[in-house]
Amino acid sequence: MALDYRKCAEEIAANIGGGANVISAAHCATRLRLVIADNSKVNKEVLENIDGVKGMFESNGQLQLIIGTGTVNKVYEEFLSVTGASAASKDDVKAAAASKMPWWKKILKTPGDVFVPILPAIVASGLMMGLVEALAKAIPSFSESGWFGFLDMVANTAFALLPILVAVSSARVFGGNLFLGAVIGMMMVHPALMNAWTVTPTNQPAVWNMGFFTISQVGYQGHVIPVILAVLLMSTVEKWLHKKVPEMIDLFVTPLVTVLVTAFATFVVIGPIFSILENWVLKGAEWLVTSTGGIGAAIMGALYPWTVVMGLHHMYNVIEAGMLSGTLGLNIWMPIASAANFAQFGACLAVAVKCRNAKLKSVALPSSLSASLGITEPAIFGVNFRFMKPFIAGVIGGAAGALFGSLTHLGATTYGVTGIPGLLAINNVPIYCIELIIAAGVAFAITTAIWKEEVPQAVPAAAGAAAAAAAAPAIEVPTTSVIRCANGTVLQPVKGNVIPYDQIPDETFATGTLGVGVGVEPTDELVVAPFDGEISSVADSKHAVGISSNDMELLIHVGVDTVNMNGDGFTCLVNEGDKVVAGQPLIRFSRAKIKAAGYSDTVAVLLTNSDDLEGVEYGAK
Amino acid sequence: MKSFEYVITDPVGIHARPAGIIIKEIKKFVSTVMIAKGDKSVDMKRGPLGVMGLKVKQGDTVKLTIEGPDEAEAAATIETFFKENF
Repeated sequence: MALDYRKCAEEIAANIGGGANVISAAHCATRLRLVIADNSKVNKEVLENIDGVKGMFESNGQLQLIIGTGTVNKVYEEFLSVTGASAASKDDVKAAAASKMPWWKKILKTPGDVFVPILPAIVASGLMMGLVEALAKAIPSFSESGWFGFLDMVANTAFALLPILVAVSSARVFGGNLFLGAVIGMMMVHPALMNAWTVTPTNQPAVWNMGFFTISQVGYQGHVIPVILAVLLMSTVEKWLHKKVPEMIDLFVTPLVTVLVTAFATFVVIGPIFSILENWVLKGAEWLVTSTGGIGAAIMGALYPWTVVMGLHHMYNVIEAGMLSGTLGLNIWMPIASAANFAQFGACLAVAVKCRNAKLKSVALPSSLSASLGITEPAIFGVNFRFMKPFIAGVIGGAAGALFGSLTHLGATTYGVTGIPGLLAINNVPIYCIELIIAAGVAFAITTAIWKEEVPQAVPAAAGAAAAAAAAPAIEVPTTSVIRCANGTVLQPVKGNVIPYDQIPDETFATGTLGVGVGVEPTDELVVAPFDGEISSVADSKHAVGISSNDMELLIHVGVDTVNMNGDGFTCLVNEGDKVVAGQPLIRFSRAKIKAAGYSDTVAVLLTNSDDLEGVEYGAK
Repeated sequence: MKSFEYVITDPVGIHARPAGIIIKEIKKFVSTVMIAKGDKSVDMKRGPLGVMGLKVKQGDTVKLTIEGPDEAEAAATIETFFKENF
């Protein structure tokens, strides 16, 4: 199905309040990422149903529309030309979004910002280490050869000198000078300092006596948190100095003072304190995985997808990098992440297999494949999280897989690689395969058992209605009818207790002035279309719609006197002239707001031209 | 044919319930009653949905056209109703 990029972009623009409402726009591999000025102008229900948009969610202050690999860039180009928005890099969007984020989220997001850009280095080193070690295991003579020595050196470079990578990346995140950041990182693993890995109770580092304090001559191999904090301090000092120091001497005073201040602070305060704290965090994580009989791992496996949903899962990279470059030398966190991710694959695959809706299938299948390779966002946001039940099934599968992985002591030589590619970095391939099968199998089975596709009964031939039906797979068609006549049947448009119209607490409705029908005392807050038809009118105050079909004219009026609320508490999901199918959402309303305004929330469902129709009868059936 | 113009003073405009009431009155007459806002016009006897579709708000001018054997009486009734309710 070829997508009309222009049309897709126009529809997106129309439903986010136009180009003027866009602060910035960017795209990544699969998503269009927008920062919106006024979120109230965003029409979420419509956005999600636009042809080409596979899913939508808000995360980290961004509105993200899942469009798909290879398509998103084309829609993005059209979007720019439609809205007149200028191209922004992903970083600009992130920065614009960051300013809208609460402080605690900013803190949790920082590790990800630091560790994601250095991922290529980690993956290259990690996979190489995995392969070299596998070869050495398979061919004992290989470990004696020069080949092994050389490849081992190449492979562990990124880990042995990890603080330098972390420092440069941190400098970029915090807005410091990259080269000064590199200097701080190099200082922390300087060859003149004792390698932190070689410290034992009998082999302690020397100290420099500074008179009233001492500095331990030990490096920070295997540490990441002290490095990030040192560079944070450095960047803050540097930016402050740039503002305060006269420009004439700024060029040499600022770098000198910045490095000197940071060096002292790092080796005297930040380093000693935070390397201890970091050891506690790592020990805690290791304890969770290894010493709780798998319970800790299972809990983390269950929590992991939720952190993906919040976009905070990269914070685990701190732990993983610490484990890899620390004394353990093995990432025992990865099996948890991998089980969690692969379970989402299983759940998504179950949806792909079970669903009949072509559009959903075309989203679920590629999304599940991508999840099997460790990229779970399309599966989570495009499918599993939308229907919730598959997501929960994935959570359970992830916990089961993580439990198994912990009990069987799985570990990896890298981070950022999960699912099938994880095979290259794992310490025990057959056991890892079993873990993946458990995770995906459990999620698949549970999803198949508890998730049911909600399909609209009939898809009318009209193009608009067909598209609407296909785009809204979650339509639930009511099973009770409330009005029947020669021309057709009116299904119950909102859940609740059905009463005859003459019991509606309002004289006009109760006397049949607007036609006969029923009232519904709602227990739900969603009005859906009671038959396939056309929207003939929508009240400006969004509390009432008229819908017609086959000469039946039906008024659905939410509450009594609610016109006075001027739309507050009501969201109308359709426009005049729209073709709708039975079960399609029409109005969402807040019972609490109607109650607060002092009105009855009884929904009047009246056949306004009942005088002209034959055989009209009403009441729930 | 009788016709008159009326400027809506009710803050919420012509909404479902009063539209229903006046339409019920109109149905007692034989004459056809058209209500127009701008260049859009609907037959009031066809029911409240069409009237609601005009989205008549406070400050809008509507034009009513009544045609038929009892048009004089109908026009008077409708005009009174509009003045009292809209």
